[in-house]
Amino acid sequence: MAVVNKKASSYAFKIFAYAFCILLTVLSLFPFVIMIVNATRNTAEIQSHAVSFIPGHNFRTNWNILMGRGFNPLDGFKNSLIVSVGSTACNIYFSTMTAFALVAYDWKLRKPFFTVIMAVLMIPAQVTSIGFYSLMYKIGWVNSFLPLILPSIAAPTTVFFMRQYMIPSLPMEILQSARIDGAGEFRIFNQIVLPMMKPAMATQAIFSFVTSWNQLFMPQILITRPELRTMPMMVSLLNGDAYKTEYGSVYLGLLLTVVPILIAYFLLSKYIIEGVALGGVKG
Amino acid sequence: MKTKLKGISYSKYGYLFSIPFVVAFLIFTLYPTIYTATLGFTDCRGVLNDDYHFLEHPFENFKEILKNDSFRVSLKNTIVIWIANFIPQISIALLLTAWFTSHSNEIRGKGFFKVVFYMPNIITAATVAILFHSLFNYPVGPVNDILVSTGLRDSSYYFFTSKTASRLIVAFIQFWTWYGNTMIVLISGVLGISPDIYEAAEIDGANGVQTFFRITIPNLKTVLLYTLITSLVGGLNMFDIPFLFLSGGPDRATLTTSVFIYNLAFSGNYIYNRAAAASMIMWLLIAFFSAILFYIMRDKDQIKIDKEIKRAKKEAKRAAKGGVNQWQW
Amino acid sequence: MKKALSVISAIALLASSVAATGCSKKEEATTKDGKTIINLWTFTDEVPGMVKKFMATHPDFAAKYEVKETIIPTTDGNYQPALNKALQAGGKDAPDFYCAEAAFVLKYTQGDMSSYAAPYKDLGIDVDNEIKAADIAKYSVDIGTNPNGDVVGLGYQATGGAFIYRRSVAKAAFGSDDPATVSAKIGGGSGSWDKFFEAAEELKKKGYGIVSGDGDIWHAVENSSEKGWIVDDKLYIDPKREEFLDLSKKLKDNNYHNDTEDWQDAWFADMKGEGDKEVLGFFGPAWLINYTIAKNCGSWVDTGEKDENGEAIQELDTSIGTWGDWAVCEPPIGFFWGGTWLIANKDSTKKEAVGQIIDWITLDCTKDGLQYMWANGTLNGEGGTKDSVASGTVMAMSDGSLDFLGGQNMFDVFVPANQYANGKNLTQHDEKINQKWRGQVRQYTAGNKSREDAIKDFKQEVADELDIH
Repeated sequence: MAVVNKKASSYAFKIFAYAFCILLTVLSLFPFVIMIVNATRNTAEIQSHAVSFIPGHNFRTNWNILMGRGFNPLDGFKNSLIVSVGSTACNIYFSTMTAFALVAYDWKLRKPFFTVIMAVLMIPAQVTSIGFYSLMYKIGWVNSFLPLILPSIAAPTTVFFMRQYMIPSLPMEILQSARIDGAGEFRIFNQIVLPMMKPAMATQAIFSFVTSWNQLFMPQILITRPELRTMPMMVSLLNGDAYKTEYGSVYLGLLLTVVPILIAYFLLSKYIIEGVALGGVKG
Repeated sequence: MKTKLKGISYSKYGYLFSIPFVVAFLIFTLYPTIYTATLGFTDCRGVLNDDYHFLEHPFENFKEILKNDSFRVSLKNTIVIWIANFIPQISIALLLTAWFTSHSNEIRGKGFFKVVFYMPNIITAATVAILFHSLFNYPVGPVNDILVSTGLRDSSYYFFTSKTASRLIVAFIQFWTWYGNTMIVLISGVLGISPDIYEAAEIDGANGVQTFFRITIPNLKTVLLYTLITSLVGGLNMFDIPFLFLSGGPDRATLTTSVFIYNLAFSGNYIYNRAAAASMIMWLLIAFFSAILFYIMRDKDQIKIDKEIKRAKKEAKRAAKGGVNQWQW
Repeated sequence: MKKALSVISAIALLASSVAATGCSKKEEATTKDGKTIINLWTFTDEVPGMVKKFMATHPDFAAKYEVKETIIPTTDGNYQPALNKALQAGGKDAPDFYCAEAAFVLKYTQGDMSSYAAPYKDLGIDVDNEIKAADIAKYSVDIGTNPNGDVVGLGYQATGGAFIYRRSVAKAAFGSDDPATVSAKIGGGSGSWDKFFEAAEELKKKGYGIVSGDGDIWHAVENSSEKGWIVDDKLYIDPKREEFLDLSKKLKDNNYHNDTEDWQDAWFADMKGEGDKEVLGFFGPAWLINYTIAKNCGSWVDTGEKDENGEAIQELDTSIGTWGDWAVCEPPIGFFWGGTWLIANKDSTKKEAVGQIIDWITLDCTKDGLQYMWANGTLNGEGGTKDSVASGTVMAMSDGSLDFLGGQNMFDVFVPANQYANGKNLTQHDEKINQKWRGQVRQYTAGNKSREDAIKDFKQEVADELDIH
């Protein structure tokens, strides 16, 4: 599908494009390199030069401090995974469903409903959090993962995205032909609509997973039992005392926290990279 | 060609499929929000806030907030920082989207680039804040070392006492953490556009630039609207980086409205009622700007949709006649 | 994708079932083997470590009780909201006792949350006599006393501050590194900064700075004031605190320091003697020596060898860095910095038991008490970090000599320092107001605004955010 370009300008364009992309790549990878390097250095080294590319020799010490301070990667990983997978699944599945309701059906309250969703999206979250955790304390949902997972069922941002994505790309005649074949609406949604939304779902799944994995405020307010701590809670524990922070271990902890997200991200990124996936879908 | 039908008379499914959202929404969002909104009309302040009453003059808190100098400063900051971050962010994200989805100018390794550019978004804001703080440290820090050793400056520059520098750095951090996110959203939007359209364009002999502006952008409109709205909302509610990086300083230069609201409510005198009032004011402002965006973007959109509905009707008729299963991708 | 989806939904199901079991059922506040649970809320592992030791040395107690700790760091700003909520909610998960740091302790002993604090005497502690016997620093008691005059909180550390200086710099500039000489030079105990600035001038002529940044003198300035930031619910700028504008400006304009900010890279570099110019010293309590300066003195080097665990072995190399080149002397103005107070919940049903732990940590002045071990660095075996403790009695029978200080016994300076510290000029909003004040001072010293504007803007910020006029 090549369009013939003038060679020289194409060359110049490529040089510029690559240079620009490489610059952005360096900027993007920089914090990860720092994290890895700092995970091998000791507190004093980090305090005097937080940004350095020369690894230290303190990896083992940092690891031991990390493990000695109640950082239990297996428990933390398990808890974070339950919360993040649970909330991502809820977020993606129900948001797509809601968007489907908004796009595919003509119902009276459709427009007001969409307006409400958008209005909710715009409320500053800092203060409404008081109401949320007060309620959770009232109904006794403390030390439970449910208040960290279930709110994702109503995720206005994702619904909005799914709706925007669906409007131009969901062909209604498919739904009709499926109906002619005798498929129920629920089945149509699960077996036809969901697969078609793959790139959009992958995109939002990444965002949702990252947000959920990194959340700290609500878990810290709602979870008090050590065995239920998530990874970011454990890292933040290392940070507890500003005067005596073990920075090397903090970076190591951060690194351990980031690795699972990176893996999840790389797994899902397939859908971002491969545009063809969409075209190839068949019901 | 994609088509869009008018809603089918299955409207009860519209309600049915919205139930989970509505239930979760009522419990987890609406109740806390109404709770907050109500506080704005009361005398509720202090940590132990169980006993509070509605005010005689219901809008007193709102008036106080509008008179509040720091609130006005923070509003100005928020808008300045948002614009300084958003313009480069959307431009570069669009540029990268054009490059990476171009059918004519294949960039090698684009998969790698796409994946990598999102990565800053993965790291927690706290870590980002620490890293940038040490980068721009004074009197010794990597950036200052470079400035002095290359002779660009004679002595170290105290970035964090300069209001302009601090704002620019915050805007840059925002840009840097979010452009990859925006790019991914836009790319996934482009992936939703039927390849047929591009093929048709190629046959017509359109070049890369033409294709992008004539085909990609118009078809990307709905997703673009999403990007604009979420960036606007996210930007005007900007909290993490301004809070963690310089906690609103120096001299309130990076104090955003969200940080100000947080400070009112949680760090100090627990002035919940005014924080709630400020939240509601911000909400109205954001809703107002969003409505404008919706209006601008939706107008033409709707016309197009109407047209398509008409055409779809015809096609549907034809399809029904011929009994052809239309998979047109 | 279908497969992926089914996997995801399976995990989601699993997740919610696991979450459901995590839901708080009506459990008794006892463990499976019948021990009563005591809840401790804190922000570091320091106090939990002490409690562990207490359990180990009190088997009878350990047979009956188990302490469950909830640790939430203060750095993310989440400790206080969570603690407040838990105290308000009450019930079996509520804290039985909790810790508060100097920066916010007043809120829990005298301020908004003080109604939850149980007087120590209700915990079965003979508090007045024990305070006398242990000779607890007065400022620590003042801070821990509620508006009714009952002691509701005490700490284990004493964080009275000293001037911590480099011997080599003192010798080069003043001809002697003797604490008495240096103290005289900087006006130790004089209650004024005049001598200090004379010394700064003298140091400058020899190419040295006197401190690293203006933050170093702030804690001393803050504590020297007659009154706190809030008097009769109104903002009050004590003349001594207002003077910080001039002191800071003087330091900067005369180039008496390296213009660093505390806890930033350049500040630590000055501990190694690697800043723009070498500086004489830092103001701080004992913990600053042990946790901060000693670790950043630059004398620790990798030997290149590894121990059996594969850990790099670090060795002290006194030919580099500043190890052993330090000493402490009396500061011009008495002050304190930091510290942790222990408070019991008035609603706790296990007051007696909580009282035993608190007593052992804050008031027991025998060699079996926490403070003796803390002062001598023997809590986790010999050779641990020594720290200055609240009990003067314990300090008197402890040895604070450190190789790091060239063998000086730091307690000689810190015991009196703890007496000079003043706990009367604090308010529950200090952390916030200090931050704003120092921000405006920085603007003024950097030449970005006039002195009047700095004060005006400071007042405006406090009025806007705290509603204190």
